[in-house]
Amino acid sequence: MEKKKEADFTLDLRGESCPYPVIYTLEALESMNKGELLQVITDCPGSFRNVPEEAKAHGYTFAQEPVKNGQEYLFYIYA
Amino acid sequence: MNPVTTTSMFQRHWNPYLVLILAGILSAGYFGLTSTVWAVTGEFTRLGGEILELFGVDVSGWQYYQMVKLDGDTLTRADGWIVWGMFTGALLMVLLSNSFKIRLPQQKRRYLQGFFGGIVAGFGARLALGCNLAAFFTGVPQFSFHSWIFIIATGIGTYFGAKLSQTRWWKGRPTLTRGTVKPSKINNRVIQPYLGVALALTYASLLLYFFTTGKSLLGLGALFGLCFGILIERGQICFTAAFRDLFLVGRSLMSKAIILGMAASSILTLAMITLYDLTPITQVAALSTLVGGVLFGFGIVLASGCETGMMYRLMEGQVLFLPVFAGNVIGATFLAYAWDHLGIYNVLVASGKKINLINSIGPVGAIISTLTMLAVLYGLTLYREKNYHRHILLKRAAK
Repeated sequence: MEKKKEADFTLDLRGESCPYPVIYTLEALESMNKGELLQVITDCPGSFRNVPEEAKAHGYTFAQEPVKNGQEYLFYIYA
Repeated sequence: MNPVTTTSMFQRHWNPYLVLILAGILSAGYFGLTSTVWAVTGEFTRLGGEILELFGVDVSGWQYYQMVKLDGDTLTRADGWIVWGMFTGALLMVLLSNSFKIRLPQQKRRYLQGFFGGIVAGFGARLALGCNLAAFFTGVPQFSFHSWIFIIATGIGTYFGAKLSQTRWWKGRPTLTRGTVKPSKINNRVIQPYLGVALALTYASLLLYFFTTGKSLLGLGALFGLCFGILIERGQICFTAAFRDLFLVGRSLMSKAIILGMAASSILTLAMITLYDLTPITQVAALSTLVGGVLFGFGIVLASGCETGMMYRLMEGQVLFLPVFAGNVIGATFLAYAWDHLGIYNVLVASGKKINLINSIGPVGAIISTLTMLAVLYGLTLYREKNYHRHILLKRAAK
């Protein structure tokens, strides 16, 4: 199996409630250079849907499918 | 592996369109059966009154409590069981999906923001005589004109709330760290679904008790409350997001689903009213509706959730919503005090009038104007979404 690219940055949002996961994710992506990889760790149930959907709606692409890790989700998004 | 946790129904969140149309149908059915509507903040106000009475304050003379009828206690009122049913339904879904987790905000300022926003939202909701339910989701289908004013006012309030929540001192700075961070270790001992099954059985026997001992109104409250709780948690229904996210990130999903749910509910409610000759529930439309709606909209964005959203998030273990809940009850109770003691009624409410569209323009006019209003809201939602994304595209292209 191809070795997965290491994330350049991680946004640890555990504990934060909506809408801050979405706002923070979009802000982080905007501040990064194009092509860099962001790892997002979030545990707000609302964000499991609105973070990936809004990242896509704002034109970002995913490095891999979201990972469900117990009560949290991991997202891997290219800036 | 545990069969319950592998059932995809509990592993996925449900489609908000489906959930809100179901909620619309159920709330029309609840009205048909009981002649009352799905509502929560009136009960929060009564809860506040009961707490005050525990401390020896006599609230029986307060006009507001005479109006919302503070009799019995929260466990002997159908409205009370709507609230406890919703908490139970949400908790049940959280446990069955093994998704309970104590979630503590990293930004400590959130607690204060939640408490403050909760007070403003609780106060505003009761001033307008309803929250996102009785003055909105279940108010429009009752053809009570106050809900039209309330929706516009909530939109204005959330706009300013969204503006404030975008300022740096309010939202705080996220911790962006270099490289990969290890996620939490997964606990392999899955016990939440078993607790969920125990809760379901306990609640089922409670329902059985209500219906077999002639307390069917309490039973219906408890049953419908349970269903509403299940739906809002599984659909992650958020009225705050419906407005706020349109302003913040051009997100329209929740608004569109809520509008369609209200349309379905309006048609069914009209059928109930004509078939069973029921009287629709109408609240006063006055300056208080406008002021209350703006405060409510502002407060729910600051608190990150309205009175309904707060309920299931608390059950998920989002600790932020403890101060929000407390704030909601305090705000609602303070309004009940201010109603006559601080002259709010005389200044903002007395000049108002109960306007019901069925009475003023007939059932056909009522449903046509309601559906038209909802269509306009839908159109505005689409317009805002398109406009936002056009703007974003230009911005990214310029980067």
